[in-house]
Amino acid sequence: MASIMRPGLLRQACTKPAASPRMLSTITTTSTINRPLAQQLRPAFQRSVMPKSTRIAAFHATQRNQLLPPLPQKILGTVNDPAPVPNPDYAHGSYHWSFERIVSAGLIPLTIAPFAAGSLNPLTDSILCALLVVHSHIGFESCIIDYFPKARVPLVRTISMWALRIGTLTLGVALYSFETNDVGITEAVARLWHA
Amino acid sequence: MASQRIFQLGLRRAAAPGLRVQPAGRMVQRRLAATEHASQNQAAEILAKQRIARPVSPHLSIYKPQITSVASSLNRITGITLSGALYIFGIAYLAAPYTGWHLETQSMVAAVAAWPMAVKMGVKAFFAFPFFFHSLNGVRHLAWDVGVGFKNQQVIRSGWAVVALTAVGSIYYTFIG
Repeated sequence: MASIMRPGLLRQACTKPAASPRMLSTITTTSTINRPLAQQLRPAFQRSVMPKSTRIAAFHATQRNQLLPPLPQKILGTVNDPAPVPNPDYAHGSYHWSFERIVSAGLIPLTIAPFAAGSLNPLTDSILCALLVVHSHIGFESCIIDYFPKARVPLVRTISMWALRIGTLTLGVALYSFETNDVGITEAVARLWHA
Repeated sequence: MASQRIFQLGLRRAAAPGLRVQPAGRMVQRRLAATEHASQNQAAEILAKQRIARPVSPHLSIYKPQITSVASSLNRITGITLSGALYIFGIAYLAAPYTGWHLETQSMVAAVAAWPMAVKMGVKAFFAFPFFFHSLNGVRHLAWDVGVGFKNQQVIRSGWAVVALTAVGSIYYTFIG
């Protein structure tokens, strides 16, 4: 509607001043000047033949996917605030990473040994259980961190983290009980597999 | 376009120095839409509303499925399957004395032995495929962690090697072993 209000559209009706005293005014005699550069660079037939709405619609051809719609927005701080730098801590970085790899690598011989030896040792079996618990906990923890970001779902994040901690503790107690009262995890799997 | 216009303006000035340029004539553009002052909070609210209407970035579906990405997500899915089963078993084992379930090895073996062959194989396949995939792909990940096999070609080849070995291993342990 605003464009209709513009007196510039009426200029055909008005008589043009002879020596153009309006050189600095925003109304120009050539209408191309107000159009974006990309449109001016297009071939002439495209400009004249295709309606403007179609040309713009082509940009918005991608289907909107509302899988993760935007949350209620909050604007924190200003544009000039520096990015927050977390306090450096060895436990958050490389040590943690190395610990994870050592646990993962440790699982390989412990998994292969019962297959290769054909027998089992209660000690290696219990180490296998302990490493499985730690490995599983780390895996689930990284899933929770990835899929339940603090900024997006703080409550779900906290609840699932505590559920995981309780679950891991329960699993530890359960495996201890299974190792001490029953035949142990490797032997149980072997027997179930050949049942 | 602005530079062209300024150049034109310069030419005209040079041609007719007497002509006084009016900044804007009587046809000056008038904006008839009303504006109102918005406070800092109101402005932030308007901005927040506008941001909700922004287009959302496209999701995973715009990528072509490749062995690199598919194997990576399968690594996580298989890990969750195996660990999830372990957690469920552990919790059930602790709850068993109170719920009357029999989850000691002997009774479980007896129960499984009574299952039909197809069910047994189905359950074996359900655990064998994730187990082999996660174990073999885990070795691949550990190799990357020490900096081995990082070239694109190597990553693709090792990925398909893991798929092949997984198929062989799990089919063997499902039907024969």
